[in-house]
Amino acid sequence: MKHFKHMTGPYILWSAAFIVIPFLLIILYAFTDGGLSLMDASFSLDSFQEIIDPLYVTVFSRSFQVGLITTALCFLLGYPMAYMITKFDEKVQPILILFTTIPMWINLLLRTYAWISILSDNGIFNMLLGKLGLAPVSIMYTGISVNIGLVCNFLPFMILPIYTSLSKMDPALLEAAYDLGANKLQAFTRVVFKYSLPGVLNGVILTFLMAISAFVIPKLLGGGQYTLLGNLIENQFISVGNWNFGSAISFILAVVILFTISFLKRIDPDDED
Amino acid sequence: MKKLVSVLLIAVMVLSLGLTGCGKKDKEKPVLKIFNAGEYIDKSLLTEFEKAYNCRIIYETFDSNESMYTKIRTGETYDILVPSDYMIERLIKEDYLAKIDWNQISNKENLNPDVMGQKFDPDNEYSVPYFYGTVGILYNKKVVDKADLADGWNLLRNKKYKGDIYMYDSERDSFMVALKALGYSMNTSNKTKIQKAYRWLVKQRDTMDVVYVTDDVIDNMISGNKSIAVVYSGDGALIMSENEDMDFFEPEEGTNMWTDCMVITKSCKNTELAHEFINFMCDVDNAYLNSQEVGYSSAVQPAFEMMRDNDFKGIDAFIPRTGHDKDQVFRYQKNTLRKYYSELWTKVKAY
Repeated sequence: MKHFKHMTGPYILWSAAFIVIPFLLIILYAFTDGGLSLMDASFSLDSFQEIIDPLYVTVFSRSFQVGLITTALCFLLGYPMAYMITKFDEKVQPILILFTTIPMWINLLLRTYAWISILSDNGIFNMLLGKLGLAPVSIMYTGISVNIGLVCNFLPFMILPIYTSLSKMDPALLEAAYDLGANKLQAFTRVVFKYSLPGVLNGVILTFLMAISAFVIPKLLGGGQYTLLGNLIENQFISVGNWNFGSAISFILAVVILFTISFLKRIDPDDED
Repeated sequence: MKKLVSVLLIAVMVLSLGLTGCGKKDKEKPVLKIFNAGEYIDKSLLTEFEKAYNCRIIYETFDSNESMYTKIRTGETYDILVPSDYMIERLIKEDYLAKIDWNQISNKENLNPDVMGQKFDPDNEYSVPYFYGTVGILYNKKVVDKADLADGWNLLRNKKYKGDIYMYDSERDSFMVALKALGYSMNTSNKTKIQKAYRWLVKQRDTMDVVYVTDDVIDNMISGNKSIAVVYSGDGALIMSENEDMDFFEPEEGTNMWTDCMVITKSCKNTELAHEFINFMCDVDNAYLNSQEVGYSSAVQPAFEMMRDNDFKGIDAFIPRTGHDKDQVFRYQKNTLRKYYSELWTKVKAY
């Protein structure tokens, strides 16, 4: 195995060029005040002072809320789905997994635009409500539409790792549990769920990270009405041109994400050693 | 192992050689890189220009003058840009633009003299007008009471229409609406007035559930999703031509009279081709096709008249208001003032 070590060389170079250096740049921008150019920048905490504004704190908490709700919904929908897939014949399983990933083959923007035409005030959903004689509801440009969009887009990232964990489980473990007198519920909570925990954690981390930093979906489905951290950062970089403030928000977000991951990783039984 | 890697590398090289070989013919053609606002050109004209001048056009779009500026500022280069008045003024001041050689624009006579020689570029040294218009309110005649229109911009704060309003997601135009509603100049640098406008916008978000959109306002209003929208006159005309329930008006308190122009950047190498393109867009037939596609009022006068008398007959949004003393043109803002506006705008949006 030893000589394979050399093959990590390109990867180290790659991550230095595309992960480490950009992140250092973000830190540099976050702690200076030179605007777009780094030439006449000097150390400053102005950007961080700006974030303390209660308004931006609201944006932070709103983003967390969206992240948590999306993750919870993805888990509630994704776990049963992954579990059911493992109950099918082994030949059918790959096909079912394929079905869950098919939506990802379609461009994210396109999928989100589809939701717009379904959820908008004169859209398909309200048309169906009208046919049933019900009053139309305004879903578009609210937290609900944003959450629907996020859950729909990130669900596969919850299903796949859980499925991978579950499908590795030896069915004999379950038989042993029954033999030892466990009922169905006990067998599930004590054996199946515990076994799938690493997959659940990976799924939770993936969906939470994506949901908390998403910006295209909240932009399209939230109509600027629902500003999340991603939108705030995008706005600072693209249209306002205040890269220092944008970097400061990104920096804080990165730190928060790092803490969340290390906290979640601690629960992971696989990492005990 | 090393052998395998080198074999792979050679394979990749050979393959890429073969691939670039196919595209070689295209590569030799001169290239023109254009940066324009979204939904703002008849794309078939680009293909036609490519054929006529045996060149290749790289066409990219932006969603606001500010995002265009950021992209240029970070080092991206284009040959031709289509920014608005105040942004042109800024680009001139910051030395991004090359002068126009008017001798190369033989279609100069077609241009409407009224949109030439404005304050942002008094002698049109740098800019060739493309489209012009105003900002106004598009409303659904079946829903909005005619009497309420007398409120002007404050119609956007009328509780009757709560949850039924699109605002336009543009920093300067949003502040323009608020400043005009309060009776101030839209170019004000008075911080008390700007603060008041900021509070007007925040209060509006708070009480009216407005939605900020950009180009998607066109599709949304054509399908009648909401009854009131702040739109550019050209978008208004386009929507009215597709949905006859809609009507357009420019509030009495005054509005933004804007002009978008084609400009050539300093980084442009093939200036001859760039001038050819600008001249091509000023041709009457081409300008007519272009105006027909995007719905805006062309700076090419004969094309504008053809549209006004045929395609858009009776659509008043197509004829931007002129001569109203409260209408203004956006002016360049100093760095500190711009930053002040941007910070407040970020807050309005984050609210």
